[in-house]
Amino acid sequence: MSGKTSILIYDLGGCEGCPLSIMRSYPRLARIYDVHAKCIGNADIERQYNYAIITGPICLNSQRHIEELKKIRKNSKILIAYGSCASVGGIILYARGGQEPRPDHRVYAPISKIVRVDFSIPGCPPAPQMLISLLGCIRSGRGYFLDLFKAVSAYSKLSGFDLMDEVVLTGICVGCGACVLSCPTNALHMVDGRPDLIVEKCIRCGTCTVRCPRFTQILIQRYKLRERAKMLASLVGGE
Amino acid sequence: MAFQPATIDPSNPLGPYIGAYIARSTAKNVKAGGGGAVTAILLYLLDKKKIDGVVAAKKTRGIKGEIVLAKTREEILMAAGNRWSIVPYTMRLKETLMSTDIRRVAFVGLPCQAQFLRQMKMFPLMEGDFADKIFVIISLFCMGTFAVESFTDYLARNYNVPLEEVENIDIEGDYLVIFYSGKKLRLPIESIIYHVQHGCILCPDYTGVFADISAGRASREGYTLILTRNRLADSIVNNAAYDGYLEISEATEEEIRYAREKALDKLNRSLKYIMRIL
Ligand code: SF4
Ligand code: SF4
Ligand code: SF4
Repeated sequence: MSGKTSILIYDLGGCEGCPLSIMRSYPRLARIYDVHAKCIGNADIERQYNYAIITGPICLNSQRHIEELKKIRKNSKILIAYGSCASVGGIILYARGGQEPRPDHRVYAPISKIVRVDFSIPGCPPAPQMLISLLGCIRSGRGYFLDLFKAVSAYSKLSGFDLMDEVVLTGICVGCGACVLSCPTNALHMVDGRPDLIVEKCIRCGTCTVRCPRFTQILIQRYKLRERAKMLASLVGGE
Repeated sequence: MAFQPATIDPSNPLGPYIGAYIARSTAKNVKAGGGGAVTAILLYLLDKKKIDGVVAAKKTRGIKGEIVLAKTREEILMAAGNRWSIVPYTMRLKETLMSTDIRRVAFVGLPCQAQFLRQMKMFPLMEGDFADKIFVIISLFCMGTFAVESFTDYLARNYNVPLEEVENIDIEGDYLVIFYSGKKLRLPIESIIYHVQHGCILCPDYTGVFADISAGRASREGYTLILTRNRLADSIVNNAAYDGYLEISEATEEEIRYAREKALDKLNRSLKYIMRIL
């Protein structure tokens, strides 16, 4: 056994974009961490890990996957929902039944619907460097935007639609263009100095929302309120 | 580098920094925007081939502008100093930066834009992020930007100042001074507060805590206050001074207090308003 920090990389489904992106960072990752993954052949969900990185959404009709996810949660100190499907639903939110193999409406969900998530990382898929940067920040307990990714874990959907509703239509958009530069599908474009959403192009990856200076501020502040409310509730409820 | 959480700490509204200087450009022709120190730093970086260009907002008409990649001294001098309206980053900018002859650039923007760039650099969420091209992020101090149409309409309607003729805007004490067609219009800041963008009233960041270098008006007339937030930034500023582009001295307690008060004002304003929209 090596003395390295152990990480489990576990895919629950989706388009394989996230596992592929992570795979590209394996060489660097393996130098720093003790990496366990299905594709290496050493993914054992019965043992303990420091970090578990989950990609893909959870299928609510699959008992096997739900049990696996719960087990991984129990066995890992920090659980990360990695990529848009695992964190905010992403394109999987469009799976509404009818197509083979006939998933039912809303049968897929971000993993935060089933287990407590420590950090949620949107991105479809996140770039390969992302994971190394993120783990480094979590390990040293600091890094500009950890609060933000923690706050995102309280959400089960975040997309261009929310950006429009919460920032642009409410008039608090400042027109910086960060969202436009962050959208992988060019679903956002500037009209008269404000972003506008081309709905057909939005894959609900959530990237724009976590790059918007106003939305991030709202997410973090709401998270804080939520935590405070939870604390109060636990004081009142006695647990 | 010191840790800056995503929310600004009221006990440290300027954010973490390792150096604070009062500076101005040594060149006579670079004096735009209170000291011209940022322009001097950019010229130094370009001359010494540390960067291939500068992404900055260039004034086009009145307070409107466009984002440009300035690759020569002349272009940098032309792009100096628009901090009264936000000029959005665009897809065109991204395409320009993706070109292979651009290796490294300096970004000059407002605190909100610095936040976005820092985030992109630390946490690349997309393959298409141009994080590795960003050499240094420079943020200009910002109290808020104008809702452009609203503000220019106001000027035109009430003071007969056409948009095209606005040459510069500056702050003198509690007054906003508008320079147009060789004339000067002084307006109390209170009277124009409604034309500031709503989103800016929520913004907690005065100096740009996510930038490498933050710069803005010093209380001493004609000088810029520079905050360097890491070793790279500090060496850039000191080398620019050593090579004669910049005249610097350590910022006095009083200068820092001056900036701190403004930063605290902005943070308080933000905290007050955010509660209303949560
Ligand atoms: S607008 Fe673009 S970045 Fe935002 S959720 Fe939709 S696809 Fe993703
Ligand atoms: S990132 Fe946010 S504030 Fe900036 S243009 Fe987009 S919606 Fe507006
Ligand atoms: S006040 Fe904030 S949001 Fe508005 S332009 Fe300045 S830095 Fe950006």
